[in-house]
Amino acid sequence: MRLDGQPGEVIHRGTPLTFTWNGRPYPAFAGDTIGSALAAAGERVFSRSLKYHRPRGLLTADGNDPGCLVQVDGEPNVRGAHRRVSAGMAVTAQGVWPSLRFDLKALNRLAGPALSTGFYYKTFIRPRRLWPYYERVLRRFSPGGRVPSPSSPAGRYEHRYAHPDVLVAGGGPAGMAAALAAAEAGARVMLVDDQPALGGHLRWGGPDGLAALAQLRAAVAAAGGIEVLTDSVVTGQYEGGLVAVVQHGLPGLTERLVKARPRQLVAAAGLIERPYVIAGNDLPGVMLSTAVRRLINLYAVRPGARAVVFTANDDGTAAAADLARAGVDVRRVVDARDGGDIVRVRGRGGVRAVECGDGSVVRCDLLVTAVGWTAPTGLLTMTGGRAAYRAGAARFVPTELPDGVLATGGLVGDGTLAELIGHGRAVGQAAARRAGRTAPASPVPDLVPAPHPELFAGRTNGFVDFTEDVSTKDLAAAVAEGYDSIELVKRYTTATMGPTQGKLEAVNTIAVVAAATGRGIPETGTTTARPPYAPVSLGALAGRNYQPVRRSPMHDWHVAHGATPLVAGAWIRPDHYGDPAGEVRAVRQGVGIIDVTPLGKFELRGPHIPDLLELLYVNRWRKLAVGAVRYGVMCTEDGVVFDDGVTGRLGEHRYLLTATSSGAEAVGEWLERWLQTERAHWRVHVVPMTDAYASINVAGPRSRELVRRLTTGIDLSPEAFPYMRVRLGEVAGVPDCVVWRIGFTGELSYELHVPAGNGLRVWEALLATGVDLGVRPFGVEAQRILRLEKGHLVVGQDTDGLTQAYSAGLDWAIKMDKDDFVGKPELAWQRVRDGQVVLVGLQPADPELVPPESSQLVEGDRRIVGRITSSRFSPTLDRSIALGFVAPDLAEPGTVVTMLLPDGRRLPARVMPQLAHVDPEGKRLHG
Amino acid sequence: MKLRRSLPRPARYSGFGLLRHALGGAPWPPVWRRHDLRDRYDVVVIGGGVHGLATAYYLAANHGVNNVAVLERGYLGGGASGRNTAIIRSNYLTPEGVAFYHRSVRLYESLAADLNFNVMFSQRGHLTLAHTDSALRTMRWRAEVNKLQGVDSSLVGRSEIGSLVPHLDVSDRPRFPILGGLWHPPGGIVRHDAVVWGYARGADAAGVHLHQDTEVVGIDVTGGRVQGVRTNRGRIAAPAVVACTAGWASTVCDLAGVALPITTFPLQAAVTEPVRPFLDTVVVSGTRHVYVSQTDRGELVFGAAVDPFPSYSSRGSLEFTEGVAAHVLELMPALAPVRILRQWAGLCDMTPDFSPVMGPTPVEGFYVDVGWGTYGFKAGPVAGETMASLVATGKTPDLIAPFDLARFTDGRLVGERGAAAVGH
Ligand SMILES: Cc1cc2nc3c(=O)[nH]c(=O)nc-3n(C[C@H](O)[C@H](O)[C@H](O)COP(=O)(O)OP(=O)(O)OC[C@H]3O[C@@H](n4cnc5c(N)ncnc54)[C@H](O)[C@@H]3O)c2cc1C
Repeated sequence: MRLDGQPGEVIHRGTPLTFTWNGRPYPAFAGDTIGSALAAAGERVFSRSLKYHRPRGLLTADGNDPGCLVQVDGEPNVRGAHRRVSAGMAVTAQGVWPSLRFDLKALNRLAGPALSTGFYYKTFIRPRRLWPYYERVLRRFSPGGRVPSPSSPAGRYEHRYAHPDVLVAGGGPAGMAAALAAAEAGARVMLVDDQPALGGHLRWGGPDGLAALAQLRAAVAAAGGIEVLTDSVVTGQYEGGLVAVVQHGLPGLTERLVKARPRQLVAAAGLIERPYVIAGNDLPGVMLSTAVRRLINLYAVRPGARAVVFTANDDGTAAAADLARAGVDVRRVVDARDGGDIVRVRGRGGVRAVECGDGSVVRCDLLVTAVGWTAPTGLLTMTGGRAAYRAGAARFVPTELPDGVLATGGLVGDGTLAELIGHGRAVGQAAARRAGRTAPASPVPDLVPAPHPELFAGRTNGFVDFTEDVSTKDLAAAVAEGYDSIELVKRYTTATMGPTQGKLEAVNTIAVVAAATGRGIPETGTTTARPPYAPVSLGALAGRNYQPVRRSPMHDWHVAHGATPLVAGAWIRPDHYGDPAGEVRAVRQGVGIIDVTPLGKFELRGPHIPDLLELLYVNRWRKLAVGAVRYGVMCTEDGVVFDDGVTGRLGEHRYLLTATSSGAEAVGEWLERWLQTERAHWRVHVVPMTDAYASINVAGPRSRELVRRLTTGIDLSPEAFPYMRVRLGEVAGVPDCVVWRIGFTGELSYELHVPAGNGLRVWEALLATGVDLGVRPFGVEAQRILRLEKGHLVVGQDTDGLTQAYSAGLDWAIKMDKDDFVGKPELAWQRVRDGQVVLVGLQPADPELVPPESSQLVEGDRRIVGRITSSRFSPTLDRSIALGFVAPDLAEPGTVVTMLLPDGRRLPARVMPQLAHVDPEGKRLHG
Repeated sequence: MKLRRSLPRPARYSGFGLLRHALGGAPWPPVWRRHDLRDRYDVVVIGGGVHGLATAYYLAANHGVNNVAVLERGYLGGGASGRNTAIIRSNYLTPEGVAFYHRSVRLYESLAADLNFNVMFSQRGHLTLAHTDSALRTMRWRAEVNKLQGVDSSLVGRSEIGSLVPHLDVSDRPRFPILGGLWHPPGGIVRHDAVVWGYARGADAAGVHLHQDTEVVGIDVTGGRVQGVRTNRGRIAAPAVVACTAGWASTVCDLAGVALPITTFPLQAAVTEPVRPFLDTVVVSGTRHVYVSQTDRGELVFGAAVDPFPSYSSRGSLEFTEGVAAHVLELMPALAPVRILRQWAGLCDMTPDFSPVMGPTPVEGFYVDVGWGTYGFKAGPVAGETMASLVATGKTPDLIAPFDLARFTDGRLVGERGAAAVGH
C-alpha cells in the first residue's frame, strides 16, 4: 500500500507509468523499483525457490534480494528489488509452472525430506540407461530465467577507460567525505555508487540523515574534480590496480564497463544486513530492518499491516519507529539485548504469526529482523587483503588492505555520522597524498566495529541460503556426512554459490557450519572471495565487441582495382584481381608486385640478438653479417615446426625479423616469453613493426629493372646486391626503406619494407614506372600457386601441430651441432627414428585433376599412408601439382600412390624427385 | 578388469535409501573418515585430486592393496580437480591418445554404478567449430583418423550445427563465420566434485586412509630407492610413493630429486548465473579461443586456452572474462544479458608434447602421474586404473607405456597439441 509523501522518497508521483507483471498491467511511479511497485500494489510473492518451490517475497528490498529475481523482457535474473521500472516493461516470474500463484513444481515439497542436500548424488544411479531421462527432468527444475531468443535485438554496450587519482567505491557519508577531502587536495576523483543517487544509508535513515545528506550532496556537486557514477557497481579489483565498474542507466546504452586504473582505491561499500535463520524465515513477509526502512522512506510503501520486530541493535528500533510512523501496527518488539528471542515464523503463503522465545505467539503479517551486519570484505580479499572475525562485533572486519587500497565507513567500523565523515575525510586525504597530491596529513581517527551480540541461527531449522534452498539441517547433514571443511560444505550443498554470491549468506553459513563442527567461526574460516564482486553481463564485458579488421595502407587501392577480398586471420587481403593464372604468368615472365604487409615484422635491438635467434631457430645465426638475410625455422619444444621467415641484420645490434602472417602474433608472444621468463638477463628489445611498414614484394625476371628505377643509394647489380642480402635506402623518394632480396615465388625478387604512411605512394610508383615492363599486381592466390610450383611449404598448411622439422624436409636448415635450441632434443631423436612421414612433391596422373586439399592417401581398403596438404593447377606447367605427406617407404621418386578424394574416387599420383615443380635448380632466383 | 565383489561397502545410495533416510530421519554415514597417520603404509599417494583418489581406489578395489594413504595438503578436490570445466571426450589425434581417452570415456560411463555415487556424466555431445578453411581441413583429417579408430566423430555443416545449437549464429554476419564443425556425440561433461567424492568414498570404504590438511614437505630417498615421505604431521615410511600433484608436480618431484619437463601455467574459467536449459552440447571454438557448456543447474561454464605466461597465480583476470564474453557473443549474440557470477584459475602442468607423464622414475618406488595440463580430468579413471596396476604389479600397462618419463630422453613424444590447445 502506498503511503503519503515521505520526506526522502525517490518516487516521482508526477510521472505515473504502467508495466506488466505476469501479463497483468500494474501502476508505478518513475523511481520505483519493480519490487517496490509490486509491493505498493499489494503483491507479496515474487518468485519460487529453487528446490521446494516455496513462495518468496521481498527480504532485503535491494539488489541482493534473493526473493526478487525476475525476468524482464528478454533479460533473465534481473534484480527486481533494484531495477527501476519503466513504462511498458514486461516482468514475469521465473521457472514457475503453470503460474507463480499455482506452481505445480511445489509438489516437490512433498518429497521434501528426500530432496535433502546432494540427493542427486545418491540416486538415479541405476539402471544406467535411464540417467539421460532423469537428467532431463532435473534440468527442467534448474533455476533462472530464459535467455533471449537468438533473433532478439541486442543491447548496446561499451567500454570506457579512466585514470582517476582516487576511486571511491561507495557513496555513503564516509565515501562522500573521502571523495570531498581527496578532491580538495586536488585529486581527480571518481565516486561510484550502485544506487541511483548518492547517500548510502542516509537516504532512508530519517530526517537528520536527510539534512546531512543534502549538505554532502551539495558539497560534492560544488567540488571540482569529482565525477559521480551512480547506478554503477564496482565489480572487481584486479592485478595491477585495475578496477572494473559497470555503469547502468545511461541514455541509449544498456551498460558500460569502465576500466579504471586509479592510483588509490577507497573501499567504502558500507554494510550488508544479515537475515536470521529460524524456521519459516523465508516466508513472504519476513524482512530485514533495512528492507522495511527502504520501502517506507524511499518508496512510500507500507510493508505490512501488523508487525513483530526482532532486534539486536538500534537499527531495529529505528525500523520499529518507521513502521509505527507508516501506520503499521507494531505488535511487539523483541529485543535480543534484553534476552528476547524468536523461534519460528508461522504461515504458508506468507507470515501469519511469530513464535517468541518466551512461548508466546504473536499474530502478524510482517516480521522485521535486525540481527547484525556483514562487512563486504570480498572486494579487499580478492586482491590479497585479509579479514578476521571479531566475535565482540559479530562480524568479519578487514585486517590487512591490499596495496593501493584504503577503506572507510561501515566496512571498517561503526560510528556517529560525524565520526563516519571524519574518518572518511582523513582517509580521503591519505588517498590523495598517496596519489601524489598534497593534503594535510591528519591522523586517521579510529573507527571500530560496535559491540553486537552474535546472532546467526536460532533454535529451529531455517534457510541459510535462500536462492539455493539450503537450510541449517542441510549444512549439518553435510558436515555429518564428512564434508566438514567450509569449502567442501559449500561445494556439496551449493550454499553461497547462487546469484547473491554469498554476500547475504556467507557468514550465516560459516556460523552454522562452525556450530555443526564445534570448531568456532575463526577456525572455520571463509571461502575464497573471487571476482567479480557483483555479477557482470557478458554484454558489458564484451563492450562493443569490436572485432578488428586489419588492412594494409594499399587496401583501398586493391578494392578500387577489383580485388576479391580474402579473410586471412585479422587481415583482409586481395585474393586476386580477377585472373590468378594471368598474375602467375606475369610474375614468371615479366614482373609482378604483391602487397605482403600482413607479414609479421619485428625490429630487434640489443647485443644478445644472436643468442636469441640461435635459441629460437633451428638454424645458425651467429655469423650473419650486417647486410645479410637468412631464412629460419622455429620449432616448439616437441620439435614441431612453429613458424618460418627471413631475418636480416640491418646493423651491428639491429635486426629485422619476419614471421608468417598468421603466426605473427604467436611469434611475438614466443619471443617475449623466452626473453621475459627464461632469459631475462639478455638485452634484447622486441618492437612489433608489422603495421609500421607497408611491405611489397616485387617478383619476376624484370624486377631488378623496376626496382632500380625507383631506388636511390642502393647498388642493385647482382655482384653488389646478391641473393639473401639486405640494403637500406630510398625507394620512390621515401627514405628509411628496407629492401631485401629473397624469393618465395622462385623468381628474382625484392621485398620492400616501406614506412607505412608511404606504402601507397611506393605501390603506385612501382605500377606507374613499370608499365613498359608489363608490371601487374598479384594476389594471395597467385602467390600460393607460385610458391607451390616452387615447392615452398606453408607452415600451418603443409605442416600441422604434429609435423616435426625433419618430416617437413627441413633437414638442411637444422643445425644439430649447435649447443642448444628449442626443440633440439626432440629433433635429435627424430633424425634417427624410422617411420616418419615425409613431405614430398606429388603430381596426379591426370594433369587436369586437382585433388582437394586434405584428400587422404590410402593403401588397400582403409589404411592411411599420407595426405595431400596443398594442391593447385599450375599455369606454368599447365598441369595439376601438389604437396603431401607420405609414409617413408612411399617417398621414393616415381612411386605411384592412391589418392582417396572426399567424393570417394581413388586416383593415382606420382611422387616427384623434389618439392619444387618449377625450376628445381633455382637458376631464376640467383640470376 | 573386474571389480572385486568382496569390497566392503558404505551405506548404499539409491532412491529407496533416500526415502528411508528421509522418513526414518537417520543420518547418512560419513562419506569418508578421519584417521591418525600410520607410521607406515604400503603405498603413499601424494595429492587428493581425481588422479590420486582414483589410483588409491583402484589399488584397493582391483588389487586388494588397501594399506594406502592419500595425502592432501588442503581439502579433497581443492586443486585442479575442483576447478576444471569437466569436459570428457576422446576425439584426440594420435592413436596413443585416442586409445587411452577412449578407455577413460568407457570407465566414466559406468563410474556412477561402480562407485554407487551419481557423478552425473552427461553425454550430450561435443562440438568443435571451424571458422577457417584450414581449421576445416584439420577437422576433416581428425574425423577420418577418429573414424578409423572406432571413435564416433564426424564433420558437420552449418545447418546441422544450427539445429544442434539453435543459439549459434551460423550466418555470414560474424567477423569469422562458422564454416563447419567436428561433432563427437559421446563427449560431454561430468560433475567434477562428484567424481572426486565418489572415488574418495569408495577408497575410504575399501580401507584407504584419506588425510586432508597433510602436506608432503620431503621425500626420503636412499640408495636410489624411495623410503617414505615427511609431512607436516610427521614421517611416513612407504616402499611406494605416487605423485599425483598436477600443478605442483615439479616442486613435489623435486623433493625426490626427479626433474620433470613441466612448466606450470594458469588456466582460467568462469561461470554464469543459472538460466533455463538451452544448450545441450559442449561448444568449442579454437579460433575464437573459447568453449562453453551448460550444467544441469543451468549455469554456463566458460573456458579458454591457458594464460600466455607460466606462473603459479590462481587469480582470475578481467582480460579473461572480457575475452570470453567477446568471443561467446560472436558465437551466440543473444547471451549478452547473461551475467558472469564467478571466475577463477587453476594450475596446469604442461608438457612439451601435450601428453601426460605416467610411470616409474629413476628413483625406485617413486612413481609419477602428472603432466595432465588442461586435459587431465577426463583421464582420471583410466589413469587411476593403470597407475594402480603398475604400482601393484610392477608391470607398465600397454595403455600408458607411451607416456613414460623416459620418452623425453629417448625421443618418443606423443604430440597432441592440435587436439588439446583450447578444447581440453
Ligand atoms: C580451469 C581449468 C579447466 C580445466 N578443464 C578441463 C576439462 O574440461 N577437461 C579435462 O579433462 N581437464 C580439465 N582441466 C585439467 C584437469 O582439471 C586436471 O588435469 C586434473 O584435475 C588433474 O587432476 P589431479 O588429481 O592430477 O590434480 P589436482 O586435482 O590438482 O590434485 C593435486 C592435489 O595435490 C595436492 N598437493 C600438491 N602438493 C602437495 C603436497 N606437497 N602435499 C600434499 N598434497 C599436495 C594439491 O593440493 C591438489 O589437491 C582443467 C583445469 C583447469 C585449471
